[in-house]
Amino acid sequence: MSSVAEKLTAAEQKRLYELVANPPLGSKVEAAKNYGVGLTLTLRSLTLTPTERSQEMESALLLMEEMQRAALRIDR
Amino acid sequence: MTNFKAALEILRNAEVNFVVVGAYAAVLHGSSQLTRDLDICYERTSQNIKRLVTALSSCNPRLRGAPSNVPFLFDERTVSHGMNFILETDFGDLDLLGELSGLGQFPDVIRDAISIELFGQPCRVASLDAIIQSKRAA
Repeated sequence: MSSVAEKLTAAEQKRLYELVANPPLGSKVEAAKNYGVGLTLTLRSLTLTPTERSQEMESALLLMEEMQRAALRIDR
Repeated sequence: MTNFKAALEILRNAEVNFVVVGAYAAVLHGSSQLTRDLDICYERTSQNIKRLVTALSSCNPRLRGAPSNVPFLFDERTVSHGMNFILETDFGDLDLLGELSGLGQFPDVIRDAISIELFGQPCRVASLDAIIQSKRAA
């Protein structure tokens, strides 16, 4: 699975980000945005390979766990 | 937290037939959500169950969230007689799913699964449609 970024031209990527920033009324993109889907995060994720997506998620989880431990230390 | 790479390597090295499903599969497709566990749909043939049990036996599999005094023996008989197992292992949380809501069993899930390169190895992942379908049904 290659990343979306590899398949799109710079102009297509620009159009895609504009679509996400200002989705057409009644579109599925607008529905997803209103539902709370982080569309720019998703687009960013689509520029990565599956291995990179997994590694980024694990890094985010590690950071979250570290912050939770820090919060517990502050509470004590 | 689950060491996804290690977990997948253990299963692959033992030639277990499985498809990655659930939230981790969604992440591999590009979803920006976070998940701590690895969900796999495994083939329920006696040969594959044997490979699965052999692969995981050295990883100290135990029932996740169950009181420590609940007896649990992870062997071929247990897996054959059960279906879905929510486990904790030495490499993290692992859900073994023989059947998924809205999708069915391994033959149904593998049908439109895709093969991706993950950590330098091919890995079968449920299709995006299948993931959405199972999430809706759950």
